Amino acid sequence: MPKKILVVDDEPDIRESVKMILQKNGYEVITAEDGDQCLETVKKVTPDLILLDIMMPGTPVSEVVKQIKDIKIAFMSVVRISDARKKGLTNQDNIVDFFQKPFNVTDLIDRVELILS
Amino acid sequence: MEGKKLVDHEEKKLGDFIKSKLNRKLTLLFIIVAVVAPSSAVYYFYQISINLSENTTLQTTLMLQSIVIVIITLIAIDAGVIGYFVSRSISRPIKNLYEATKKIEQGEYDIKLDIKTGDEIQRLAEAFNKTTKVLSSLEKERQELDTAKTDFLSITSHELRSPMTPMKAQLQMLHQGYFGKLNKKQSESINIIARNADRLDNIIVDFLEISRIEAARLKFNFRKTDLIETVKNTVKFMDGFAKEKNINLVISLEKIPVIEVDPDRISQVLRNLINNAIKFSEENSKIEIASQQKNNHIEFSVKDYGCGLSYENQIRVFEPFYQVESASRRKHGGTGLGLAICRGIVESQKGKIWVESKEGKGSKFFFTIPLEPVRDIKPIRILFSRKTSIERKLKEEFKTMLGPLGINEFEELKKQNSLDEIKLIDYIEDLKINYIITDEIGEQFKNSIYEIYNDKKGVINDKKYTSETKVEDEVIKRN
Repeated sequence: MPKKILVVDDEPDIRESVKMILQKNGYEVITAEDGDQCLETVKKVTPDLILLDIMMPGTPVSEVVKQIKDIKIAFMSVVRISDARKKGLTNQDNIVDFFQKPFNVTDLIDRVELILS
Repeated sequence: MEGKKLVDHEEKKLGDFIKSKLNRKLTLLFIIVAVVAPSSAVYYFYQISINLSENTTLQTTLMLQSIVIVIITLIAIDAGVIGYFVSRSISRPIKNLYEATKKIEQGEYDIKLDIKTGDEIQRLAEAFNKTTKVLSSLEKERQELDTAKTDFLSITSHELRSPMTPMKAQLQMLHQGYFGKLNKKQSESINIIARNADRLDNIIVDFLEISRIEAARLKFNFRKTDLIETVKNTVKFMDGFAKEKNINLVISLEKIPVIEVDPDRISQVLRNLINNAIKFSEENSKIEIASQQKNNHIEFSVKDYGCGLSYENQIRVFEPFYQVESASRRKHGGTGLGLAICRGIVESQKGKIWVESKEGKGSKFFFTIPLEPVRDIKPIRILFSRKTSIERKLKEEFKTMLGPLGINEFEELKKQNSLDEIKLIDYIEDLKINYIITDEIGEQFKNSIYEIYNDKKGVINDKKYTSETKVEDEVIKRN
């Protein structure tokens, strides 16, 4: 049974790229365009990991993460980790990693594997 | 209490009154005019009265004489008192005007003079107020433009960075054979694209850093740090790059105290300097990295035995995009923003960064940081910095004042590193003494030098940024 990853990003090209990488490495990938869609999706399916962009239209991500308590979340953003920390985005226990965009493909796979192992 | 205060005030006023040259002049003038005219008249009458009565006794003469002296003295005192009030009524508003001008010189534009003398001085003050208002609105406009520039830089850099993410991801996937094995030509092509995408990304990252420095948004995480460890770790990190050219990194560290500082920023500057040193060193050479405490700061230095820098380049290496010779640029890559960013980081902490170098022998870069961290970060101008604009203006001035020869002179002075205000004034004095220029042109020349150096426009919107009002550093998304 392949692990399921939800990719949330408002940029279609990024969504598609991350999806291609993860699928190639044997993961099942579902996508969402923003925080609201993400919340809708997790009501229906339970992914093993959510890769979540920080700056997206709609409900702010800081609100979105508060409603997701039992799924692992890794941020993926152009915002620097120090800025994300300052905004208190990394305070929850289920937030497990932070990918700085632009990310390195190999690094992404290695770290995702580590999170899901 | 009130009364005493008032007396103090008056006393001080009297002191000030005497200090004012204008007051002294006017009062003296009053006394002279008031004494000379009446006393000559009184003396004339005195003579007449003596001549009229032929048999005046000595007694009456004496009496007349003393009356004359008393009258003249009274007139003098009277004139002095009137002079005091008249000159005070003139000098006080002038003093106010002078003080207001001083304030404008210091960049304070929110002043309004309230002079109600009902004469030309009042009209002057009103004109002054109007001018100040115009200046103030111009200053505001300039600050807004400055902020707009920095914001533009920040927003465009972020916007440029977003497409980098999928671009780089796709390139890496191609490169790693996600979509099938590549032949040699395809692989080479992907490598070139990837390398240039990286370079572009580096420039964008550097731009972001500059926009942070210019907007005083640069973040420092101060913590108690043993800087010796920081230097050692940084050198260890750079050792890999140095080994590629078989360069030996030598550390000489004196004992330095544990201070509160952001070690990552120190490491960032050091990495940059060591990286440059490696770039410009020959193979099999060495680079010396040192740090020591000097008074109330710590001085770091990175010395190489590479190609060195000419006088001109020693000043200009800290300018953005300035790279020594285009050939070396092609050879060494880089964004041309590294040292400008170093300068921004160091100056944000009120430190200094400079270089000592001899062409062909090598360069030694220095920078200092204070023992006490500077928490109130001020904006530092990096793009379109004052240095470049000053140099441009100076060159222009040399051309106007000295003709075509002026440019040669300017370049010569620049080579000798003599373009600071004091040295230039000395230089003009020399020209005057040697009759190369007339006194008049010399004075004009000096005035323009003062103007160029004291141009307040060089200070960027300092007051606007306090740590509380900083705009959050984030991507602006188009919804």
